[in-house]
Amino acid sequence: MYSLALQDVLYEHKLHPTLSMSGEEKKIKMQTVIPKTSAALTSLLRADFTTQWRNRRSVVLLLLVPVIILISWKGLIAKMGGAFALSTCITIGLTAIGLMGYSNAIARDRDKGVFQRLRVTPVPTWSIMVSRLIVQLVLILLVTTFVFIVGSEYDEVTLSPAGYTLTFVTAFVGGALYLGLGQMIVGLVKNAETVNSTTRLVYFVFIMVGMFGDLGVLGEELKKIIHWSPYGTVKAILAGSMQPSNWSSQTSLALLATIAYAVAFSYLGIKKFRWNTQ
Amino acid sequence: MNNKPGSSILQVNGLNVSYGTFHAVRNVSFEVKAGEIFGLLGPNGAGKTSTLSAVEGLLKPQSGTITVAGFDTAKKPLHAKANMGVQLQATSFQPELTLAEIIKLYAGIYCVELTREKLQNILQDIKLEGSSSKKFKELSGGQQQRVSLVIATIHDPVLVLMDEPTTGLDPQARRQLWERIEAMREKGHGILLTTHSMEEAEAVCDRIAIMDHGNVIAIDTPQVLIDTHRNDQNVISVSRKGKITLEDVFIGLTGRTVRT
Ligand SMILES: Nc1ncnc2c1ncn2[C@@H]1O[C@H](COP(=O)(O)OP(=O)(O)OP(=O)(O)O)[C@@H](O)[C@H]1O
Ligand SMILES: [Mg+2]
Repeated sequence: MYSLALQDVLYEHKLHPTLSMSGEEKKIKMQTVIPKTSAALTSLLRADFTTQWRNRRSVVLLLLVPVIILISWKGLIAKMGGAFALSTCITIGLTAIGLMGYSNAIARDRDKGVFQRLRVTPVPTWSIMVSRLIVQLVLILLVTTFVFIVGSEYDEVTLSPAGYTLTFVTAFVGGALYLGLGQMIVGLVKNAETVNSTTRLVYFVFIMVGMFGDLGVLGEELKKIIHWSPYGTVKAILAGSMQPSNWSSQTSLALLATIAYAVAFSYLGIKKFRWNTQ
Repeated sequence: MNNKPGSSILQVNGLNVSYGTFHAVRNVSFEVKAGEIFGLLGPNGAGKTSTLSAVEGLLKPQSGTITVAGFDTAKKPLHAKANMGVQLQATSFQPELTLAEIIKLYAGIYCVELTREKLQNILQDIKLEGSSSKKFKELSGGQQQRVSLVIATIHDPVLVLMDEPTTGLDPQARRQLWERIEAMREKGHGILLTTHSMEEAEAVCDRIAIMDHGNVIAIDTPQVLIDTHRNDQNVISVSRKGKITLEDVFIGLTGRTVRT
């Protein structure tokens, strides 16, 4: 009989604590302690990184747009400055991470009930999200490093060590803004398909309006608006940190604005977030 | 606290669940003991899944108390969860992960040590030793059911909750699952399951509760329920071939109308 075979296997390999005991104590124990959160987080991280690895084609796409820009702008870079080009590319990469990558993965898993399954286990709910976010932080690191390498190898734009270090820091701050924006979208929009189209639209608008407006193609008024938009403030802090000596009070204001955006988006996104779509 | 057969491992007291203004679970109370298979029955929309969700901590009850292995789910949610294994009505695991990776993930979450050999044993036990690198959605319904049960019980919880575990299974797979559930009972697990199959309830459940419109309207062993209601006019009028079955009692108590 099947169930007997099960017990035999388990017994033989002492897999089952209760089965390997003598008949008298053949009982299951009640747990009086919660499994360690650090162990749970490690397992979640392994799973989330594996998932990201299986989706590595989307990471390639993430890197593709910045590369295309760096390559096609090669001639222009002398005119507009290395910092302008690199900060544009990193901003676009960060936008893609927060909007396309993070929010769509969350929306899809929520739709499929992946979160509900995790939530019935004794892991604190925050650890489910923290694990996801750590994967995103690694992606931010990856995109930033990648832009630096292509920028230096292909466009011969190099920064001072302080410039590189500071830019990694501001990339995380800017990344937080876009992850917050992604969180806000999955908080406000329940349906995974709608999240997908919304994030695509926002991404497209950000890149098109941001990039061209920033170049002054769309007029002075819009340029000013863009400068204080989530696109502009992130770009400003990135460009500012690439040349620390040029960091101005305007850059500091942009940093404050970026943090304010990040906090506001995340607050709304977390407050409105539902773990299931039913 | 221990789990001698007969000791209470789940207590639900005066549970109320609402979705907005809709009152889905109304003042529900019952208890599941160690070494008992308890069935929650009721028409579509009766409130079975909502009741389970409250026990599982997926939704916050409006009122009432739930105790799992002595832990109040409102006050000690993680302790309560450490003592339960759950198979959801619509289970889904991360679609990118393989079977082996999913099992490792859940073993890790419960801090259950999982050697390569143990993993092999688990897969062998559910007859999926050749499928460790398959994705969950590449499995048949019966195979998926076995995987989610093995994951639900990977930490050997005292309480096992299963929402319609045999829906969509063929007779062989269903029998196999019954045997597994019964083997868990023998070991002292308390099992709470929902089902639409009266045959299943009669065959495996020690006690059942019938829910309708959010209320528990009857609670007893299948045989006692049949015996107490065999002379009800409603029950007799729906019976076929002169023999009163649990299904007759169920329809007699909950009415003939199909729920919308
Ligand atoms: N998230 C929700 N929002 C609003 N109403 C809900 C929600 N979930 C369930 N309901 C309602 O609550 C009632 C009970 O639903 P529940 O899923 O608990 O029923 P059930 O007994 O499990 O039914 P079934 O046998 O069909 O699985 C139903 O009327 C359902 O429409
Ligand atoms: Mg249900």
